[in-house]
Amino acid sequence: MEMIVAGLLDALSPISLLFVFVGVAIGVLIGAIPGINGPMAIALFIPVTYYMSPLTAIGFLVGLNKGAFFGGAVSAVLLRTPGTPEAAATSWDGYPLTQQGKGEKALRMALYSSVAGDFISTIVLIAIAAPLAAVALFMGPAEIFALISLALTVIAGIGTNSIGRGLMAAGLGIFVGLIGTEPVTALPRLTFDIYQLGSGLSLIPVAIGLLAFSEILLQLEKFTVKGGGEHIVHKFSSKLQDRMVSLKEFFANTKTLLRGSLIGIGVGAMPGLGAPVASFMSYDQAMKRSKKKEEFGKGTLEGIGASESANSAVVAASMIPLFVLGIPGNLAVAMLMGAFMIHGMQPGPLMFQENAQLMYGIYGSLVIASVFLLVIGRFGLRFFCKAVNIPAMILYPIVVFTCIMGSYLGKSDMFDVAVMLIFGFIGYFMRKFDYSYVAFLIGFILAPEWERALQQVVIISEHETFMFFQRPVAMGLMALALFVVVRTFWKSFKDGRQKQMEAATQE
Amino acid sequence: MTRINRDIIAYLVIIGFCILMLTWGIPTYTPAYPGYGASPALVPIVSISVMLFMACLSMFRCCVAVFMNRPLPIEESKFPEELNEEGGFTQVGRVKLYHLVSIMIPCVLLVVAIEYIAYIFVSFVFLMIFQYVIGSRKWGQSIVVSVSLTAVLYIVMRYGFGVPVPGPQIF
Repeated sequence: MEMIVAGLLDALSPISLLFVFVGVAIGVLIGAIPGINGPMAIALFIPVTYYMSPLTAIGFLVGLNKGAFFGGAVSAVLLRTPGTPEAAATSWDGYPLTQQGKGEKALRMALYSSVAGDFISTIVLIAIAAPLAAVALFMGPAEIFALISLALTVIAGIGTNSIGRGLMAAGLGIFVGLIGTEPVTALPRLTFDIYQLGSGLSLIPVAIGLLAFSEILLQLEKFTVKGGGEHIVHKFSSKLQDRMVSLKEFFANTKTLLRGSLIGIGVGAMPGLGAPVASFMSYDQAMKRSKKKEEFGKGTLEGIGASESANSAVVAASMIPLFVLGIPGNLAVAMLMGAFMIHGMQPGPLMFQENAQLMYGIYGSLVIASVFLLVIGRFGLRFFCKAVNIPAMILYPIVVFTCIMGSYLGKSDMFDVAVMLIFGFIGYFMRKFDYSYVAFLIGFILAPEWERALQQVVIISEHETFMFFQRPVAMGLMALALFVVVRTFWKSFKDGRQKQMEAATQE
Repeated sequence: MTRINRDIIAYLVIIGFCILMLTWGIPTYTPAYPGYGASPALVPIVSISVMLFMACLSMFRCCVAVFMNRPLPIEESKFPEELNEEGGFTQVGRVKLYHLVSIMIPCVLLVVAIEYIAYIFVSFVFLMIFQYVIGSRKWGQSIVVSVSLTAVLYIVMRYGFGVPVPGPQIF
């Protein structure tokens, strides 16, 4: 109990409050800019957190992520160009409302739904993560090894249409993640006589390169090759009923918001699915169960509520596998996992024992971030709407130069900038050729832990030959991993054959 | 070049990389087995073998499509721009090499030049060139962006974080 109170008091310290506030504000601003999303923002801002205490750093990054999720709705509603896939469903009803002059109303509904989904999800995280982590403590190296194997197979399917290319990307990520000091012999491995590689590749330049720099390369391609232009935003109506969401309107959507939040929590807690799945699933369910189905797609608050409550609920829920098992379920959480590691913590069930006060401090920051999101969104909405019109000629140099200096900041070494450029280059080709950079990054982050667990299993097995086979949970997880691979291949083979037949018929 | 041909070349590059790593990279740059635990080469070999296996399998699939006339699903054999599917979230497409090189060259030059020339000069020149490359022709705006960005990051790094800026120090 003392730990809980101390943690919450830490979260309420002025410096922590300030950085959570700043994180949420920057997150909303960045999310509102088309083309910049939460994980990218986290990658860009992790170097800044080197100089903060762990709680302040994680609070700032969590606020950034929460803010960016709502910020994505701003461009989706105003321009119908969602900066992130999860905001796509929001644009289906948000943009028609904007065309009717009700853009502010749509954004307010998006804000309230986001905050509702996020708040419910945060409460669920707080309620179940610690008890589940206590159960997870009974897991040994065999279970951890099997669990990471399962996570890698599930994650291989993210961000690509092909499980084969996903596995190749995850394999490369693991290989790159193994560069550095080998854990058993403590000797350099795969360093290719480059002394800077002796301590391995840092997450920051790799993540900035793959997430931010390669994205900017692609956006610049669209911008310079096809030409960019100013966005045209429809003017907001000045009528009060077109600007505000009344309590009656909000509470009329309670069921939709609750359903969306639960879908978001379920999807977020499962590694590999992510916010877009939650958002589309919730929108689909809301439409099927609505009494006014015909209004969907034409500008209904219910559609916005369904999408936003679900995608925002994913943010906190996706931390459940991180806190309970030490496994990142999506890219934003993978970045947060990197931030934890940079600050000397290994996410997982042991965190509740080793850093209990910090964990309760993080819980406090999560709740405070939800409150700040409501306050900042409520009073700063019109200001954030202006962010969608930041000229590209000003935005891109800022982002590119921040990528360069952010990579340098970690070790004060230009070698990291070179690494960032190389991974930006690789990331560009991965995106163009449909290789999942998400699977690469998660493989990169999980590789050392995976190898450590394997080494422990092998060393224990030298004394207890059938150790692995005596652990039913580990065996079950490995069987599940195998099942996931076989099932995905089989499904992909079946779908491929069907599409091949269709293609042959068309020819 | 068709998408299938491009994919075959990509798989060949991956296969070449995997073979190089399995025959030279891993054996040369991995410590010897210490006599206990798993070999330090085990996980690198497993990860590269997964890549090699998947690349061979995928290439075989593409070759069957090309040489045995069994068409692949349309979204795997055509570029999104050929299907008029641009504007979605897919980033798959043709590589614009000229664009890529024109952006990368100033960045690489910055990394090299900053070792010898002071940060303030190199950053200013880099930002001016970068803005020119992406199409900015408003010189006044370019100068303002370059000067302010260089100065802000200098102040943030030097006085905010206490980190020396890269390159020779002139202040």
